[in-house]
Amino acid sequence: MKYAQDIADATQEIFSSMVMLEVTPGEPFKRADSKLSSSISGIIGLAGTIKGILAIHLPNAAALAITTAFLGMDVEEIDEDVCDAVGELANMLGGSIKAILDPSGSEIQISMPSAVHGEEYAVDCLADAEAVAIPFTFNGQTFIVELQISEGS
Amino acid sequence: MEFAKKIVETTEEIFNTMIFLDVSANTPLEQGKQDLGCHVSAMIGLTGGFSAMLGIHCPEAVGLAISGAMLGIEIEEIDADVKDALGEIANMLAGGLKERFSTEDIGLELAIPTAVSGKSYTIASSAKSNRVIIPFNIEQGQFFIEMKYNLN
Repeated sequence: MKYAQDIADATQEIFSSMVMLEVTPGEPFKRADSKLSSSISGIIGLAGTIKGILAIHLPNAAALAITTAFLGMDVEEIDEDVCDAVGELANMLGGSIKAILDPSGSEIQISMPSAVHGEEYAVDCLADAEAVAIPFTFNGQTFIVELQISEGS
Repeated sequence: MEFAKKIVETTEEIFNTMIFLDVSANTPLEQGKQDLGCHVSAMIGLTGGFSAMLGIHCPEAVGLAISGAMLGIEIEEIDADVKDALGEIANMLAGGLKERFSTEDIGLELAIPTAVSGKSYTIASSAKSNRVIIPFNIEQGQFFIEMKYNLN
């Protein structure tokens, strides 16, 4: 997908400026119906001339490390602070992607973020949408940022 | 803005006219952490006059019953059909709410639906957002329509 590089850049920028973590993007891939184990996902909708979903999927350990860095406080379990931090990450990523997809700023809006977590769950896109997932690594941890968009209509 | 009233009206309308299942609304749940014991959910974002996330959350038996009724087939496990059906319901609910809010000059745009499924998951709501959760009954049990929103 043509936006893979944009997502990689936006994610790196947000992590280095807001979370104070340097993250390294890997090769874009298609995340086909794979289940997530002991993870947390932040999900936000994009609506307007381009409709879509932006999601960040974090294994619990990565979520804890990121929340600790982001909030500057120690977190040891997936609690409300972690959910809020992951939702806020989705919100910031959504904002950056919106700026890339819609430079004029008037055609796309982002919805409210939601955080989902659990021992085993799946997050599936339902619309006929183009999707790309990009893996990132930092300090031996990994996470995925995924964008699904459907242009037109 | 009467979120709860609009959600109940829209849900009843869609279940009566599109899915042909009788549903009855219960009292909205209190704010706060709720373990809904659900196995399949569909969510869709709404933006415009306010920013929101609308979700339908079902225990397995209820999700199978609703999607089976909607598609007119018997379904035995949570598969792609069930997720698609619930996503379509989330889409229709969001569309119905968009229509109702437009009569109050509140414009809304819809994102695309996404499904969450699994044996155990929790959908958290931000402490900063408002949340309405309304339980509905069908013969097979209870499902929940949830709307989280922030007024801009």
